Amino acid sequence: MNYVFEFSAVFEAWDELLAGLIRTVWLSGAAMAIGLVVAILGALGKTGGPRPLRWLIDAYIELIRNTPFLIQLFVIFFGLPAIGLRLEADQASLLALVVNVGAYGIEIIRAGIESIHHGQIEAGRALGLKNLQIFRLIVLKPALQAIYPSLTSQFILLMLNSSVCSAIAASELTGAANDIQARTFRSFEVYFVVTALYLVLSVMFWGIFAWIERSFLRQPAPR
Amino acid sequence: MRTLGSGDILFILLALRWTLLLSLAAFVGGSLGGLLVALMRSGTIKALRWIAFGYIKLFQGTPLLMQLFLAFFIPGIFGFNVDPWGAAALGLSLHASAFLGEIWRGAIETVPKGQWEASAALGLRYWRQMRLIVLPQALRVAIPPTVGFLVQLIKATSLASIIGFVEITRAAQVINNAVFQPFTIFGLVGLAYFVICWPLSAYSKRMEQRLALARR
Amino acid sequence: MTHRFTLTRRGIAALALGTTLGATLGAVPLPGLTRSAAATPEEIKSRGRIMVGVLTDYPPFGGTDSNQNPAGYDVDVARLLAKELGVELQLVPVTGPNRIPFLLTNKVDMLVATFGITEERSKQVLFSNPYSAFTTYILAPKSTAIKGPDDLKGVRVGVARASTQDSALVAVAPKETRIMRFDDDATTTQSIISGQVQAIGASSTVLAQLTQNYASLQIEPKFTLRAQANGMAFRKQDAALRDWSNGFIAKLVESGELNRIHETWFKAKMDPLPPMPQF
Repeated sequence: MNYVFEFSAVFEAWDELLAGLIRTVWLSGAAMAIGLVVAILGALGKTGGPRPLRWLIDAYIELIRNTPFLIQLFVIFFGLPAIGLRLEADQASLLALVVNVGAYGIEIIRAGIESIHHGQIEAGRALGLKNLQIFRLIVLKPALQAIYPSLTSQFILLMLNSSVCSAIAASELTGAANDIQARTFRSFEVYFVVTALYLVLSVMFWGIFAWIERSFLRQPAPR
Repeated sequence: MRTLGSGDILFILLALRWTLLLSLAAFVGGSLGGLLVALMRSGTIKALRWIAFGYIKLFQGTPLLMQLFLAFFIPGIFGFNVDPWGAAALGLSLHASAFLGEIWRGAIETVPKGQWEASAALGLRYWRQMRLIVLPQALRVAIPPTVGFLVQLIKATSLASIIGFVEITRAAQVINNAVFQPFTIFGLVGLAYFVICWPLSAYSKRMEQRLALARR
Repeated sequence: MTHRFTLTRRGIAALALGTTLGATLGAVPLPGLTRSAAATPEEIKSRGRIMVGVLTDYPPFGGTDSNQNPAGYDVDVARLLAKELGVELQLVPVTGPNRIPFLLTNKVDMLVATFGITEERSKQVLFSNPYSAFTTYILAPKSTAIKGPDDLKGVRVGVARASTQDSALVAVAPKETRIMRFDDDATTTQSIISGQVQAIGASSTVLAQLTQNYASLQIEPKFTLRAQANGMAFRKQDAALRDWSNGFIAKLVESGELNRIHETWFKAKMDPLPPMPQF
């Protein structure tokens, strides 16, 4: 016999895991919300902004999409203090997640915007709609419907990615797992339980996203 | 205490071959698994469809970090020794199978139903339908997102560093612990990833645009 | 508790069931499946190879040479140990947090990995007598007013996760201390250089690095966290290998070879090794 399972050490630290779980939900929820704003602004800048802005956004997208998140996290946490911006581990994690998801979000939303035909926008103008109304009614909602699946799976990836933030001592689920593991040495048991918890979180987010889609984004049924 | 020498930089750059080799192994393993998952998922046998669905959701719903960790320690518990290389290749392959399976299922489903019916009318059985009619068309649609996922996979190999596999990120950590110049070192590593990933991303994007134009 | 199972379908089913039960009931000691027997000196000699876990990110105890092979105090000790057994040495790089999992899941036969002997750890593994020692401190810039543990209230202190300074800090620090755990000493040290933490718990080796490379930070030791005695570590059932290693360590001390290794890596004579901690 070489390995004895012992889950009690994990369950004794249940409150710690729960606190970590809540931090993960908070961290990824906030990053999703802010990231969505960044993505929308970026997509608008990229489709309609002046040329230098478009180049800047392109550079941002390419840089983020082609380097690992872990490296981005290190640069934000350890690099920014050098220019006088010291962020707490949780703030740095949030920023890194937003910066990361923003780059993917811009491309997703841009694709959505471009899926709207010019004719529809012109039709809106002909109806006397203001720019903002056109954006909200003719561009945003149909675009959101078109991009909703890829956007939400990107959000789930973000939530799972937040586990990497434990590397800079952020207080989230993986960090809690690491601390418990460091104390009890029951690594396998801790990570097994935490993996299951992440799965529960994913299922929860899938559920919420599906509910949002059903409630707000479904096309009105044809009569 | 050493200073950062050309030998160290060479070591980091040489570790890049392990990053590439691991990416390749995971991509090959993931392709085989992914094809299986895609066929199960798009097939007509209900039980297989559900198994493939569960598999995809399991891997899309848990962090890769945990998947790698468990791929490393579960075989050990059963007395099978896998080294970090084997564990990383196994974990990333299983991970890639789920994602590629889902991508390819989508591609298979873009092939209109009429083609299945027409080829069935010609007397073709499932495997020949797949091989002669469906897969060639699906392949065209599948290439851009597949290359896109390859970029994700290459970046994901950086997490193999946590289970002790010495690829470029771990090599950088080891050197950094000896010479202590995190910025030079991680900057270099970031650049190395960029140089590999960017052309692939650009290719994937161009193919996607070309495909979109063709569909118009 | 040494049941042995062969790899049968029933065994797998039992394991799966046991895992589920374990998860629901909390603690069920469960016989695992294995193909490798306990590591004894005889078994290792007959297989002709020993797998030793060493650190590669903790120089000069366990670092790498300019050819990137593991090198350091621990590696030299491991080499002599393999030579004494008359077997081939296979060095397996481990990290601070994964040392125990590597040992418990049979990825190594033993650890020579600057592993501090603590009560909590000795519940999980067997320790040899000390073969190396060092002291860990709270380190902070000269300008930071820290004289003792009570001054750590509200202070951000970085430590390497799962290290002995981690548990020593937890033991003395007031609960308002903001302990931040990083994966290794390098990241921890980086956190004080970048100003992300105000103090760190680390050894005199780290202090020497900081003094040499970042003299302007004026990092100094504020107070001692603990004097750490390091032991080789073994699985609980491998007492025979542990006993053999204790004899080996005594021989190294006797012959002066351990001191020679110490002088190679620390450029100083070795202080007498501390006695085996008793819990």
